[in-house]
Amino acid sequence: MDAYLIALASFGLIYLLLVVGLNLQYGFAGLTNFGVVGFYALGAYTSAILATRGVPVPLALAGAMLVAMVPAFLLGLLSLRLRDDYLAVVTLGFAELVKLVVTNEAWLTRGPHGIPDIPPLVDAALSPDLRPAVELGVLLLVNAVALYAIWRIVRSPFGRAIFAIREDETAVTALGKDPLGFKIKAFMIGAALAGLAGGLQAHHLSYISPEQFLPILTFYVWIAVLIGGVGTLSGTVVGTAILILLLEGSRFLRDLIPGVSETDLASARLMIVGLAIVVVTIHRPEGIMGRTAK
Amino acid sequence: MVHLSRRRFAASIASLAASTAFLPRFAGAQAPEFRIGALCPITGAGAQYGAGMQRAIQFAANQVNAAGGAAGRQLRVFTEDDQTQPEAGVLAAKKLIEVNQVQAVVGTWASGVTLAVIPMAVRANVLAMNVSGAPDISALHNDGMSWRFHPTNAEFGKAFAAVCAKQGYKRPALMGFNNAFGLGLTGGFQAAWEKGGGTIAGRVIYEPRRPSYRGEVQEILRAKPDVIVMGSYLADTTLIMREAFQEGYEGRWIMPGWSANDQLVAALGPQATEGVISMDTIPNEGSGAFKSFDDEYKRAMNVSGASNVFAAMSYDMVISLALALEAAGPSASPREIGQKMRLVANPDGTKVYGFAEGKDALKRGKINYEGASGALDFDEFGDVKGNFLMSVIEKGRLVRKDVVAG
Amino acid sequence: MDIVFIANLVVAGIVEGSLIALAALAMTLVFGVARFPNAATGDFMAFGAYAALMAYATAGLPIWLAAAIAIAATALLALVSYRFVFSKLLNRSPVANLLASIGVALIIRSALSWYFGSAQRTFSFPLVRSMNLGGIRIHPTDLAVVGVALAAMLVVFTLLYVTPLGRRMRAVADNPLLARASGIRSAYVMVALWLIAGGVSALAGVLLGVKAIVTPEMGFDVLLHIFTATVLGGIGNPLGAVVGGLVIGIAQELASPIVGASYKLAVGFVVLVALLLVRPQGLFGGAEVTR
Repeated sequence: MDAYLIALASFGLIYLLLVVGLNLQYGFAGLTNFGVVGFYALGAYTSAILATRGVPVPLALAGAMLVAMVPAFLLGLLSLRLRDDYLAVVTLGFAELVKLVVTNEAWLTRGPHGIPDIPPLVDAALSPDLRPAVELGVLLLVNAVALYAIWRIVRSPFGRAIFAIREDETAVTALGKDPLGFKIKAFMIGAALAGLAGGLQAHHLSYISPEQFLPILTFYVWIAVLIGGVGTLSGTVVGTAILILLLEGSRFLRDLIPGVSETDLASARLMIVGLAIVVVTIHRPEGIMGRTAK
Repeated sequence: MVHLSRRRFAASIASLAASTAFLPRFAGAQAPEFRIGALCPITGAGAQYGAGMQRAIQFAANQVNAAGGAAGRQLRVFTEDDQTQPEAGVLAAKKLIEVNQVQAVVGTWASGVTLAVIPMAVRANVLAMNVSGAPDISALHNDGMSWRFHPTNAEFGKAFAAVCAKQGYKRPALMGFNNAFGLGLTGGFQAAWEKGGGTIAGRVIYEPRRPSYRGEVQEILRAKPDVIVMGSYLADTTLIMREAFQEGYEGRWIMPGWSANDQLVAALGPQATEGVISMDTIPNEGSGAFKSFDDEYKRAMNVSGASNVFAAMSYDMVISLALALEAAGPSASPREIGQKMRLVANPDGTKVYGFAEGKDALKRGKINYEGASGALDFDEFGDVKGNFLMSVIEKGRLVRKDVVAG
Repeated sequence: MDIVFIANLVVAGIVEGSLIALAALAMTLVFGVARFPNAATGDFMAFGAYAALMAYATAGLPIWLAAAIAIAATALLALVSYRFVFSKLLNRSPVANLLASIGVALIIRSALSWYFGSAQRTFSFPLVRSMNLGGIRIHPTDLAVVGVALAAMLVVFTLLYVTPLGRRMRAVADNPLLARASGIRSAYVMVALWLIAGGVSALAGVLLGVKAIVTPEMGFDVLLHIFTATVLGGIGNPLGAVVGGLVIGIAQELASPIVGASYKLAVGFVVLVALLLVRPQGLFGGAEVTR
């Protein structure tokens, strides 16, 4: 049981980075990024490709963050000219493009065969019994650093500026700040976090393939941001926890209710996720940890 | 090892304490149940096959239990959905192993899921059985803890090439689904074909889930093939064959059995499917194993068992596992059970076609389980070896024609 | 690369493009009036396809009647989703509505896969060969698909541009506040909108199901193309959506000999980004101020 809980917590912590990244982009800067899974995949592949060619894992992870920031910069530039809903569609398309590239550039990514034997997050010489726990520790540390850094950013003049953009773009411009630059930076930092999450996942799983990077993951991250509370850091943690509960908790449903087939359960899981989104958007617009209605 | 099992024992006490509320246990002196995790693709790309696989695992376990269990132990199946996704598959496998305390995880379908699950299962001293085709998996199959019930993708391609050569085709064109299976099969075909001195007329790798493949079909037909070799699944095959027929293609087709089946004929009718060559691992259609699988499968899923070869393989996983358990004895560890797999499945023993029969024959010596999905003989990598059956669709019915060495 | 081959690619592109166009028309109507990209469009399509399949294969009705039943059933479903979900989000951001529509999409899809399973189904029409016009092959089913799609578009355009209802809808689309001030009851417009969007989606789904196969994911699988076509044409512009769909369908097929069968799927996206760099409001979108 404890090993399962460790696996679950590791999974949740990797998601948490994605949720924090998106919450910075949408919650603080109002960017409708529907391509989360694209940045995540870029990070996973960058880190895996570097590490399997002998680059030390920490450096490979740094590479993952850098590579994920490049398209974020370009999309950020484009986003300045677009309405929110246009940006949503463009980023959705970007994620599909990433998937096509990792599927088809087999010389680099091994295509649909995926990349096996990715070096683990922690020393491979470590006893297999200990490794998951140590990995969990590393993930906790990474998340703590990331959350602290975001907290600092949000508190900084920069953070207050992006927050202001969300509230009123023209007012900020009038004050002589440059909201566009802030937006791009927020987009890039969020993408770097998604890239880092992807890299961590690659080392954690030891195997990645294009099939892992489906658009549904983006929706899951959005659900966590919404449920937890847009624009709050505590909300990201709560939202992620609830998401994991929704996704994994249903596994235990069947142990409790005998006679439910796995097929029914899969439908039920999708139904529950769908209902959760609808109910939360209607009844709890600010999320669970969000500021109460304005 | 002793240390490990004590740790696992302690863990199991802890988790049982947490789960007794909903896990009925057998009372008294009876041998403990043997727990199997059925980890199949219920959603995602494998969804067409996963539900049937899981049902097959369940009714195979029921058959074993009805025959008094294996080595006196009742089998108990816990089901999970791997979502055809490595990430979800790993979490589901972790849950099966840690929470449900299973000793075998069977039924992974996608190569990605299998590649991610095997190392984890082996680390936890749990048997793993799959129906995946990626060659990379063989490297993980080396210590008797993991077993593959499906020929590799490349071997499939090689067998296809042998059939095309025998049929006298000159201009094969390849169409492959853009995944490990489609690439592996078409690649295996091309390698074998070119080794035999032939050339490939054309090759298209296509993306899944498209509303139409007309452009791809046009490109392939421009190569004027006399046979189209498909590394495909049912849904895409339905579209591609329909559009090729509309485009006026008159040549032949060769494809795996899970594409060329009753459902394909139902979708396209007998005219368009006439002469399609279907390649499969040999189902022992005349034998007891296939019949008892097929009867149950029809009852459970309302379609013929021949339409889902992965379900037949999953059925065989449970039967062969139970026979190995019977041979290894009630207190055997998963590793000790794994070591008996070849003893109950490979040649030289008495041929048996079901659990009850095998259990009986084991009392007298070695047995050789001939499964519902094939002869089920494992090589040194734990990969199933065997021959392929070539069938041809004639007037809407699959007719067996030939056996091709794998 | 001969001209006949190219002509055949264009034909293939027109057929796929008109399916995308019809679905994009449904999406852009919602986009224009209710102001969000409706991610449930694809699942309305799948629902329509299953409804028609039930009526056709199970109840044995003729296909046109089955399609009519599917249109009615899906229009009703769309109305229900408006009544219980979108009507409660009228004053909320497009993103909130988009997310809710993803929720609605998942609910519909889970119900379909629970009831029908994930095995493929087909409208088993007898197969016939295509007509060969000097090497250019035209298939009767494709002709019917394109014909019905065009006819449906015509009906919708007539509705929009000739009837009083259409005028009201366009007024709301152009300026909701002004429309309200001039006494247009937006609730009535909304009901009409969702009925039309549901019906058009259903028809697109039936056509897709007839041409391809029916699965619970069939609509979701083409959703990205529908989104792209909608944005390409300029959100809320019906003519733009139709043109956008055709452009994507044709560009994709024409590109496939050059970039291959995989990357052709990215052609729509590339065209979209290139266009948005020049015209951020899309092909036909007016220079609309951001909300």
